[in-house]
Amino acid sequence: MSAQKLKLLSFSGNARILHLSWMAFFISFLVWFNHAPLLISIQESLGLTNQQIKTILILNVALTIPARIVVGMLVDKYGPKIMYSLLLGISSFICFFFALADTFEQLAAARFMLGFVGAGFVIGIRMISEWYPAKQVGLAEGIYGGWGNFGSAAAAMTLPTVALMFGGDDGWRYAVALTGAIAFVYAFIYYNSVSDTPKGSTYFKPKKSGGMEVTSVGDFYFYLLMNIPLYAALALLAWKLSPSGVSLLSAGVADTIYVGLGLLYLYQTYHIYQVNKAIFTTVVPEIHRYKFKQVAVLDLAYLATFGSELAVVSMLPLFFHDTFDITAVQAGLLASGFAFMNLVSRPIGGLFSDRWGRKRTLTVCITGLAVGYFVMSLITPEWAIVFAVLATMACSFFVQAGEGAVFAVVPLVQRRLTGQVAGMAGAYGIVGAVTFLTVLSLVSAQTFFLVITATAVVTLIAVQFMDEPKGQMAEILPDGTVQMIDVH
Amino acid sequence: MTAKLRVGVGACSEKGLKEENQDSLGHFIPENLNLLSAKGAAFTLADGVSSSAEAKQASQACVTGFLEDYFSTPDSWSVKKSGGTVLTSINTWLYGQSNQFQDASRGLASTFCGLVIKSTTAHLFHVGDSRIYLIRDNNIEQLTIDHRIHMPGQKEYLGRAMGVDYRLDIDYKTVPTELGDKFLISTDGVHDFLSDKTLQKILTSDDQNLENVCEQIVAQSLEMGSNDNVSCMLLRVDELPSQDAEEVFAKLTELPFPPELYEGVILDGYRITRELHASSTSQLYLAIDTDTNEKVVIKTPSVNFEDDPAYLERFQLEEWAGRRIDSPHVIRTIDQHRPRRFLYYIMEYIEGKTLEQWIEDHRGSEPDLTLIRNIVSQAIWGIRAFHRLDMLHQDLKPGNIMITPEGLVKILDFGSTKIAGIADISTPVERKVLLGTKNYTAPEYLIEKPGTTQSDLFALGCIVYEMITGELPYGTALSRASDQASLHRLHYIPISNHVRNIPHWVDKAIRKSVQIDPDNRYEKLSELESDLRKPNPSFLREEQLPLLERNPLGFWKAMTGILFVTNLVLLYLHISHN
Repeated sequence: MSAQKLKLLSFSGNARILHLSWMAFFISFLVWFNHAPLLISIQESLGLTNQQIKTILILNVALTIPARIVVGMLVDKYGPKIMYSLLLGISSFICFFFALADTFEQLAAARFMLGFVGAGFVIGIRMISEWYPAKQVGLAEGIYGGWGNFGSAAAAMTLPTVALMFGGDDGWRYAVALTGAIAFVYAFIYYNSVSDTPKGSTYFKPKKSGGMEVTSVGDFYFYLLMNIPLYAALALLAWKLSPSGVSLLSAGVADTIYVGLGLLYLYQTYHIYQVNKAIFTTVVPEIHRYKFKQVAVLDLAYLATFGSELAVVSMLPLFFHDTFDITAVQAGLLASGFAFMNLVSRPIGGLFSDRWGRKRTLTVCITGLAVGYFVMSLITPEWAIVFAVLATMACSFFVQAGEGAVFAVVPLVQRRLTGQVAGMAGAYGIVGAVTFLTVLSLVSAQTFFLVITATAVVTLIAVQFMDEPKGQMAEILPDGTVQMIDVH
Repeated sequence: MTAKLRVGVGACSEKGLKEENQDSLGHFIPENLNLLSAKGAAFTLADGVSSSAEAKQASQACVTGFLEDYFSTPDSWSVKKSGGTVLTSINTWLYGQSNQFQDASRGLASTFCGLVIKSTTAHLFHVGDSRIYLIRDNNIEQLTIDHRIHMPGQKEYLGRAMGVDYRLDIDYKTVPTELGDKFLISTDGVHDFLSDKTLQKILTSDDQNLENVCEQIVAQSLEMGSNDNVSCMLLRVDELPSQDAEEVFAKLTELPFPPELYEGVILDGYRITRELHASSTSQLYLAIDTDTNEKVVIKTPSVNFEDDPAYLERFQLEEWAGRRIDSPHVIRTIDQHRPRRFLYYIMEYIEGKTLEQWIEDHRGSEPDLTLIRNIVSQAIWGIRAFHRLDMLHQDLKPGNIMITPEGLVKILDFGSTKIAGIADISTPVERKVLLGTKNYTAPEYLIEKPGTTQSDLFALGCIVYEMITGELPYGTALSRASDQASLHRLHYIPISNHVRNIPHWVDKAIRKSVQIDPDNRYEKLSELESDLRKPNPSFLREEQLPLLERNPLGFWKAMTGILFVTNLVLLYLHISHN
């Protein structure tokens, strides 16, 4: 019942910023997933093994985990305008590097560096929150995220055709380079078209802190525990690249990485302790108190939703190609159905969450995606392609609605920690992608879908432990009078 | 219930060997809790200088004058400003009275010791040779310095006192207080005869009755041969205002946030007409008071900050500040008579446009200096209303200045207003340093120095510049500056670079208002106002700078030209001679 509608058709004021920002995010996703629909031709032209292809998929999301943290800090310092422009500008060159790669090692290096573009999300979120009032910011961020994520669908739909148009073995190179060129040009457009804050407001630099605030001793240890997967995912990747996996790294280097990650974890733990040491001696005032389990549940839910989306978007074109024996163009087009749903499903998830309750919406979404992935695990070459695509789209609806539902709860955990809670959930999304793709490199696609299903079931149980965030305390009577409701 | 400040007090004053007791003592601890938290409790002692004619009258005037006037100063004034202002006026009065006597030494003169405990801080005002001691953990420490002049071989003289000169320097200092702290205020009849050690012994004796302790001190002084009036006052901090975060936060969150409002909704008797503005920090709605049919503006807090105590405190202080400022040139905050069930506040609805819009509308056209002067003068009236209350606006910008169709100028927005009297009150709320808007924020804020009235002047100077030129005095460079070094690199762009036909002295006046170093700016807003109206003679003088300074390149070019021509002439003469 909002009097002020989000003016989506307008291109002035904050709507202009929203449009320009989702386009920036769209292009970063286009670049980030430009390889997925082209893997078939890349594999053919460079003669790569299946293991190597799957490794490339994992590498693509690996760097995103630390990059999000670094980019998040830089955005706080330098503002979103310059950061988005730099991110797009730099990634365009990495993109060209990928387009020119001749060996698996070069491809791997380029893809690893491209994980950096995945960090674009946090930049735009900061931008939107500066420009939109509280009651619209949820929907605006949903549109930003949803329409931006659609970039991977756009890649899947168009790039195989583009590659074909250029033709030959090198068609994929031109297609990839084209996305890089788009990013390069848009970097300048973005820089010249936006400002960090509405005219006349100040860009506040938030207080620096090395860790999130927790409010009880139990939560402190819980938080430390929840940080381990972030490092474990990177360790898993190092293992995959070590001689035990695809032998891209020597045993010595892999061991060094393990030790480095361990030290990094200790370093972060020290920071978290510095931020939170007061809780060991004094009681936190009520207004600042929150339960960390809320954050943990959201992390898991985002791992199951966004994590699985990234993984599935990466592998789906190849999966369709292998299963149904269709051309790369057809496979890309059909696979795009998954990310296509982003346009509407992510905002819908947020909307349902507002209307029907946070916990219920999350429960429904995750149940839906568990069933959806289970159905996808049953896809065989005997299926009619139509049904396979429909199953994919139905599943993706729940996946993305779930993402929207997660982000509808994020600000309600503890307003002042919104940025950090969102950051941690986002990181878990990537951890999910790394984990699922690593699983994919070890097992068949069917098993891969079943693993996601199992993860979703675990998440479903976890969601039941979440407390419904406290709702509005006021109600508007039919005659228009605002009335207080007693909440007990 | 929140713990409040509680101070026990005892006093004793004897005339001793003298004929008359020229010492005066007094204190006031407000019963009214609001007054107690806003102004604190005051304790005073004055010792009339015995060479003066009306010593008793002088000391009495200091004590009663201070106690009466201090509590009448505005809530928004800091203790320092309140005490300083009151003492200055008492001094002026005493000095005026003294002038009736032919012999200056026979005037009304007195020492003065004032102690104000507000929140958890003790504020000391001191002139003369009376003393204030702090007794903490059985240690005694003299907090004041005697204003005495030593003459070799002679008696010591009082170096400073109330009423001897038109000008007066008052020692001011603050001491954070702790529970159980005792303060002893004494005249020289006591501390000239009792050593610190003796005092300490008496003060730390078992007798905890403050009255008794004071009597003991006086008796002991007399025993030690004190030949002066003997007075002292002893106070003990028995309870300090609550610093319990839980209570403070509970108070801040007493009222819930209003829900999202839209047309037709009635909030505590205000019917919403439409949303005027919504940002990530607050919303403004136009509404009609259903009782009076008056158009009002409702400001509601943004739910983004519902658990941010610093924001909540600020929001509630905005209304506090607004209700205290009464000026036709500042937006009026409306008192609400119906019970309030949500967190919001009401302001008058001003029809008209912002100065920001005004600048846009006048962009490109010839600047109308008469109109601009009029707007600036009205704005200065508004800003002065803040400054008189010891408040700084801190976020002056064209968007925060409204012009009604009748041409009335009004200052808006108390969101960044700094209130000195509130800054005195300690709180567990972590207050953030608030910044105004880039381009208008004075440079001292960027290097984390406290703002002064000169900071508001800087913003105003930028605004005047923008009204004339449509540009900013430092371009956009100021908004990118962040440290001392980058501030030094900023260059003022003369108005003549943008607009012609603006008198040189107007540019100079604006330039002086927007100096990077606050000390180089005008001291008072009115100086800018008058220098915009008529040329400041010193600026005119500067206009007639020698050509060498005004245009060095042109000077040397002309000089070279002249030399060249002279050489040609010489050459011609030389040739024609031969």
